[in-house]
Amino acid sequence: MSEVIESRILRHRIENIGSLPTVPDTLKKLARIMEKQNVSLTEIASFVQSDPALTFRILKMVNSAVYGFPGRIASVSHAIMLLGLNVVKGLLLGVSVFELMQRAMTGLYEHSMGCAAAARIIAQKKGLREPEECYVAGLLHDIGKVVMALEFTKAYEGALAFSETEHIPIMQAERKFFADNHAVLGGVLSEKWRFPKKLTEAILWHHEPPSAVLFPLETAIVHLADILTKARGLGFSGDQIVPIVDDAAFDRLELSEEDIVNVFQELEGSIEATQEVLQQ
Amino acid sequence: MIKVTPDKLQPGMRLAKPVMNKVGMALLGEGTELTETWIARIQDMELEGAIYVEGRQEMEVPLDEMLAALERRFQSAEGNTRMDLIKRAAERHIGKLYE
Repeated sequence: MSEVIESRILRHRIENIGSLPTVPDTLKKLARIMEKQNVSLTEIASFVQSDPALTFRILKMVNSAVYGFPGRIASVSHAIMLLGLNVVKGLLLGVSVFELMQRAMTGLYEHSMGCAAAARIIAQKKGLREPEECYVAGLLHDIGKVVMALEFTKAYEGALAFSETEHIPIMQAERKFFADNHAVLGGVLSEKWRFPKKLTEAILWHHEPPSAVLFPLETAIVHLADILTKARGLGFSGDQIVPIVDDAAFDRLELSEEDIVNVFQELEGSIEATQEVLQQ
Repeated sequence: MIKVTPDKLQPGMRLAKPVMNKVGMALLGEGTELTETWIARIQDMELEGAIYVEGRQEMEVPLDEMLAALERRFQSAEGNTRMDLIKRAAERHIGKLYE
């Protein structure tokens, strides 16, 4: 049996993500800005505007039908005003990790975009004031997998194969190879990037929603969105089977069968919008 | 709604979604009936992505294959009432895509 990669080593890689050769420069620069305390709107906007490719992608994303303002956002500052700094930070990260996700695992980006859209739809149904926050949490919930698959490719391939042969969720298969699972590592990264607690909790506990003490509702939303995306078979997240939904999280959301059919329907529309965003 | 590439557009088709330029600003609104002039302009614009017109898209994967894949994805969840509910909802939704 192969050795389990220690927590210390995993966290060290995350801490030094800014110097990993597998990470593109844009993402490194962006990560540096996000690690700063009290980063301002102007700083983020001017950083984005200095990179035409990034500007193009972020505007395409916020103007897509995935959001509520199709075709109406003309600048990065305007996007920040409408969506809030944290959402824009999350989206920037989301569009910047696109290539990385594609390289890490085929289908992971489609899965993440699907989960993001589903989380937003559920958040809206539940009347949350900022459904975009759930969108960002969904977009980044598997960010831990990106680091694992890129930095420890062999071990992660092992975990994927193990999950397939044993018919167990990838989360469980990871245990055989890694001391920390992808959700824990994603949580570490989210803290490092100074994302709000809400986002960190949703990422950290998306497989164990009862552990979320501060934001159980948002965490339950991302947990269910992840499962619905897998149930619909959108993209690939490493799971061949749909993991079992947490009873308490599911009951907290009080969704009927009819409600879930509606979520799937709305999700269908955003899949097409997603594909448009992905065609660069 | 059918997804078509600009070269496959025909006069009389009606837009199911706005036509957007590269940064996502709407150029032609939803519901616009395409004329030869509009089609020529769209083709000149080097748009990225597809145009959506009204109509029904043929599904790429046959329904029985979609449902068989769904069964496989839920094989470990049998007997869990909440998972059964999610699966039923997914089945109903997928069925509707083929109606």
